[in-house]
Parts: sequence; C-alpha cells; structure tokens
Amino acid sequence: MVDLLTFGFMQRALTASVIIGALCSIIGVFVVLRGLSFIGAGTSHAAFAGVTFGYLTGVSPLGMAVLFGLGTVWVIHGLYQRGVMKLDVSIGIFYTFTMALAILFLGLMGTYNAEVYGFLFGSVLSVTAEDLSVMGWLASGVLALVLLFYKEFHFITFDQAMAEATGIAAGRFFFLLLNLIALTVVVSLKTVGALLVFAMIVIPAASAYQLGRTMLGMMGYAVAFGVGSAVGGVLLSYRFDLPSGATIVLLATALFFVAAALSPKRRVRAIVARP
Amino acid sequence: MTTANEEVIRFDRATIHYRDRVALDDITLGIRSGEFIGIIGPNGSGKTTLLKAILGLVPPASGSVRVFDCACERLRCEHRARIGYLPQKDPVDPHFPITVAEAVMMGRYSSIGLFRYPGKADRAIVSEALTAVNMVSEAGTPLGELSGGQQQRVMIARALAQRPEVLLLDEPTTGIDTPTQHAIMELIARLHRDLRLTILFVTHDINLISRVADRLVLLNTRLFAVGPPSDVLTRGTLAQVYGKDIVVTDHGAAPYVIVGDHHASHQ
Repeated sequence: MVDLLTFGFMQRALTASVIIGALCSIIGVFVVLRGLSFIGAGTSHAAFAGVTFGYLTGVSPLGMAVLFGLGTVWVIHGLYQRGVMKLDVSIGIFYTFTMALAILFLGLMGTYNAEVYGFLFGSVLSVTAEDLSVMGWLASGVLALVLLFYKEFHFITFDQAMAEATGIAAGRFFFLLLNLIALTVVVSLKTVGALLVFAMIVIPAASAYQLGRTMLGMMGYAVAFGVGSAVGGVLLSYRFDLPSGATIVLLATALFFVAAALSPKRRVRAIVARP
Repeated sequence: MTTANEEVIRFDRATIHYRDRVALDDITLGIRSGEFIGIIGPNGSGKTTLLKAILGLVPPASGSVRVFDCACERLRCEHRARIGYLPQKDPVDPHFPITVAEAVMMGRYSSIGLFRYPGKADRAIVSEALTAVNMVSEAGTPLGELSGGQQQRVMIARALAQRPEVLLLDEPTTGIDTPTQHAIMELIARLHRDLRLTILFVTHDINLISRVADRLVLLNTRLFAVGPPSDVLTRGTLAQVYGKDIVVTDHGAAPYVIVGDHHASHQ
C-alpha cells in the first residue's frame, strides 16, 4: 500500500481528497445547521451545466462552472430576498432548469466526452497538478473568508433574525455564505462529481452533528470524518478497482451510521422529551 | 451615552404598513431614558411592530421614528448595539451545538466589529451578564439542555451582554410556568433598577406588568392610551380595545384587570 504513495497521480488524488474533505466538511457544518442541504444539490447541477457549456463552446469549463454556480445562487437569493419564492422552491426550479441545460449542452456536443462525464461522476485519480493548484487557491479563499467572518456566520446560522436586530449585516453574510457553498461545490466537482459533491457537504457534517457540543467542535469532527472518508475512499477504490466518488460517499455514509449510533444526543433527546 | 430623563425614543405621527395592512397608525409617543414602559394590547395590535420599528427593521411609511436622535431606518450598527432585544420566544433547536456562554457571547458580536474575535474583556462581560441572571454556573452547558425558563434567562443575558441602554422585551414570559414568570419579571425589574436601563416590555399579562411599569402604552393599531397604570387601566379605556367584558378592581398598588373573551363579544 505504501508503494502507492510513490505514484504522482496517487499523491495528487490524496492531496485533492484532503482539500475536498476538509473544505466540504467545514462549509457543510453551516449547511446542515442552517438547513440549506438542498442548495448544495442545486448548485452542483448548475456548476455541471457550466462545465458542459465550457466544453461545448471551448471556454474554460472550470470558469464556466464558477459562473453558472455563482449565477444560480445570485438568482435564487434574489428571488428569496424579494419574497417572490421560498428558498427551497427557487432552488427546486433552478436545480431542474440547470440540469436540463446540462442535458441540452451534452446533446449539442454530439459525441461522447469522457472528461465531461468525469465531472458528473468524479475522477479523483485523474486530477492534474493544474487542477490541484486551482483547487488549492479556491479552497484557501473560501476557508480564509470563513475564518475571517466566523463569528458572523456563527450568529446567522443560529439565529439570523436576531443577528440582524443586533446590527449584524445578516442578509449580506447569508448571501456570502451561499456564494461560499457554490464555490465549494465547484472546487469539489472534479474529485467527487456533480452527483455526489452534495453528499460530501452534508454527510460528514451530519455525522459531526451527532457528536459536537459546540460549532467549532462540530467542525473538528466534520473535518475528521470528511478527510477520513475522502482519503479512505480513494485508497479503497484503488485497491478494489471501484469508482472513487461512489466509494468516498459510501464510506462517509457508513461513518455517519457509526456516529449516529454513538451519538450522545440520543440521551439529550430523552432529557428533552421528559415531562 | 444618554443622560437621565433625556428622550431616547420618539415616534412622531408614525404609520407602518405590511404591504396593504396597516400595523401601526399615526403613533406619537416619546420615551425617556430610564423609563420602564409596558406595552399592552390584543393580538395583532402592533406591539411587536413597535419594537421592530425602534430597531429600524420596519421603516415608517409616513411620520418618523427616531432613536438616540437618529432616524430608525438609518440606525447604524453602533446604535443598534445600544439596543438589547429579546424577540418572542422561539423554540431553541435542542441539538444545535452551542453552549450557554457562546449564546450570550453573540450579544457582543456587533460591538466587537468585523475582522475581530472576542477577547478577555468580552468574556468578562459575558460572565457578568450570566451572573446578573443567575446562570453563571451553566456557562458550559449546551443551551438545548436547559428548561424553557432557563433558556429565557440566557436570552436576557445575551441582550445584557450588548451593554444596552434600551432593552426591548417581546413577551418574555409567554410559554413559561407562573413561578418562573414571576421570577423573570423580578429579574427584569431588578436589572431596570440596578442598571438604570430603559425597558420596553411587550406582554399580554396586564396584571404582571402593571406592578412594575412606570407607564403603560395601550395599542390597537392606534395608540389608545399612555400613562401610569392607574390612568390606563380603567374600564372605559380598556373596553375600547378589549370589548365590554372587562372587570377592573382595586388590588393594592395597581388595579387588577380581568379581560373576557373580546373576540366573542365582537361576533
């Protein structure tokens, strides 16, 4: 197994797994606590539509993924802010609209393109040094903003209306959070694929939710679960010749059930239910 | 910082709409520093809207609302930080990973400002706020493990941690058992006395508030009465808002009011 680490593609795959595992888990904590799970699914389909558009037109697929991902979040947030739609309805509309666009662009391509399908199902073993560099920069930017505005994100995740009332620009921070979720999805697209990136955002954070007593504690657990399942999934997929994205998500799901079984919150539930 | 008896809040012919519905109509009211104001009225009478207008969350369609001599819709963050707010009690997610001390620290966030983290002084203020509500021993306890009354004390501590000059309390005793209601009322009265806070207390419990408030504000979209409890709590005044099934008796320091089913009397 140690020999594996001498291969350049495996070093890149494991580095990508660590970056994605940590990034998705930290953003996932806000997603799970704020009840935004559906937005991960919506943005990943939008980003995939961007990738297909990029390949169709010969423009940078990653650039298009960023554009489509952020654009979708802006429109969804705009509709929500103006009270036109509830957030989940707007996401539902754009989730299907952008998926339809992706299918349309795939159809217009005419020929099978393995790279495009790599973005759909994930292909961590084919991550290039250039991919890794873009991934690293985007992930660093997202994590720096989370660190910089941690207390504001903490407050709006717990009680956005109260944060607004005390003078925090809660609406703007919520919009920023949606943008960071979109960027996280784009960063993770190549590693776990558009269909499964959403799982990497939600599952490690949901596992951590079972164990964490504070939000920082929950982030620590989430990173451990996220990085553990991403790295473990890559190694298992290589060892048993399995699809990498699916193996990562299945391992994360198995860890979730372990965390749920060990959760001290089941005891709290009993206390709360007590008359 | 305001001085004693200085006017801190001023509604001047303020009318507030939610789309087509008028929530507050032509309100003129001044509140001085250090006053304890009880705000009463039936459901939908605009009590919560009055507090939200002070916070600048709902701007007036006409007239003006000024807080610390600043138009409420232009209230800057530093002004908002001078107003502690306890909204109507929402059930706290019992599994949200947050300790009592962290929840109270949130009251400091707007004062700390952007790009900065809580320091030693902020932690001291949090501890002081928890001491004021007798919850310092629970600082490390997850918020979801506390009873409803204890959670309400924590939320009061969060408002106190802002070091506010004005405290807005929206039905802080609703959904809590009677002994805890009285304990919270005594706590708020003590904080008003000791910290010389200006307090606006929204409640349906007329008899509870009339014992401690300097003045009562009786709302039903319009301002029906404002003054000392003995002036506002008269059968004639209350009947205009609550209907005819009103009994007012003398009961020591303040009148005792029994309100009948005013919804039934309007049918």
